Amino acid sequence: MIKESPLFWPAHMKDGSLYVLDETLIPKKVHYIKVRNTQEAVKVIRDMKTRAFGQFLVVLNTFLLELQNGRALSKEKLIEKIKETAEALNNSRPTFPFSEVTSIIVGWAQKASAENLDLIPFVTKNIHGYLQGIRYRRLERVQKIAALIKDGDSILTHCNVSGELAMAAAICKDQEKQIHFFATETRPYLQGAKLTAWELQKMGAQVTLVADNAIGSLMADEMVNKVIVGSDRSCANGDFANKIGTYQIAVLAKEFEIPFYVLTQPSNKIKSGEDIPIEVRDPQELLNFSGKRIVAGEVKGFYPGFDVVPSDLITESIAIDVN
Amino acid sequence: MLTKKEKSVVLVQGVVKGSLFDLLKKRKTTDIVVLEGRPNLEAARQSTKDLAKRKLIPTLIADNMAGVLFYKNLVKEVWLSYQLTDENGALCDIGGLILAVLGKRHNIPVYIYPSGRKSKLLGVSGDILKFNGTRVAPAGVEGYVPLVEWVPQKYITKTYE
Repeated sequence: MIKESPLFWPAHMKDGSLYVLDETLIPKKVHYIKVRNTQEAVKVIRDMKTRAFGQFLVVLNTFLLELQNGRALSKEKLIEKIKETAEALNNSRPTFPFSEVTSIIVGWAQKASAENLDLIPFVTKNIHGYLQGIRYRRLERVQKIAALIKDGDSILTHCNVSGELAMAAAICKDQEKQIHFFATETRPYLQGAKLTAWELQKMGAQVTLVADNAIGSLMADEMVNKVIVGSDRSCANGDFANKIGTYQIAVLAKEFEIPFYVLTQPSNKIKSGEDIPIEVRDPQELLNFSGKRIVAGEVKGFYPGFDVVPSDLITESIAIDVN
Repeated sequence: MLTKKEKSVVLVQGVVKGSLFDLLKKRKTTDIVVLEGRPNLEAARQSTKDLAKRKLIPTLIADNMAGVLFYKNLVKEVWLSYQLTDENGALCDIGGLILAVLGKRHNIPVYIYPSGRKSKLLGVSGDILKFNGTRVAPAGVEGYVPLVEWVPQKYITKTYE
């Protein structure tokens, strides 16, 4: 039995509502936001209350919500509602491949309609089955990550890998492997400082926090021997997008001959990283922190949420098939 | 920013002497991007102040955001601050090595400019556990806070005295 991190499965249905872990409150508090419809789901995504794998869970569970909310609708109206839900989720944030997930659900609804199946139970059952499959595959990947990590490893990670790395760390601990993690703080939302440091510590792993600008020093001084990161979107040629800062880590890892591993969800919908839309967020999210301006005087800000890592910088992709 | 002209951005990293900005102003440089410079954000605060005196408005980015500007082919040149130098390289403010290696990968010139100050080699753990005065990391987590790093000569295009 693998010890589970709250970040591994940060959204779930309970009593007809969706509960989404508010990642912005960690490590101060573990709190779940109640989501009742598509509009509220889009808001938790846009406000970055959840991210990465959490978005995937929110998408699937939002369809469960809308199927439940649409019990009184005709089949045609329900399909229309499902398409509207897909459209709203697809437009929530640009980089994560929402449409690749929502199109699966729309496809099931259309199949149910075409084959005259009872739409709500058919799609609901498929979503539950799909979620179970993904859960199983992610747990398998946790074991793969644990096998990749060797006794004595010092691992650099960036942003947050949605529970999987921390759970692999717990397995390594049970196996009495001596390992150490360096987590980058990951400006501007500081997911490394808030989420990764928290969950690694909860899993009993040794973790040291570093600034995003310290990765070169760590590598040049041979303080890390592996890099493991997550990803938000993959391309047919093996390029991937992840939290801003991943590209420079990958370039430095190549320069210092440090193996660079990425957890991916392969997709051939996009040809190469050049085609991935990079989300540019409000610069105020960078220029202010906890309601306080970080720099006085006149200054502009630029906040790209993601960057792209070309496949030539990747040592190995540890993939799970989500299709 | 991502739609700017190719090779139009001048990146400035670390706490540099204000005279660098006279040089940039003389060259009519407009797209100056300043990295915030964790842990104390000193680079962002000092550079912004120095640029304001010269009526130049910089764009601030976090220390993890330079890579995407290189990837998008927007960077024209890089300026790193150094505290000392010899024939083998320079002791630069932390983060300099990242930009130097990115410069090498993308064939972008990397210039080093005096900092005019000497900082400690290492900060204290607590420096990184807070941001802008607010505690962000969970209790019990340690931080490692190098404040300077060595940038080998092979990455440096030109040293300014």
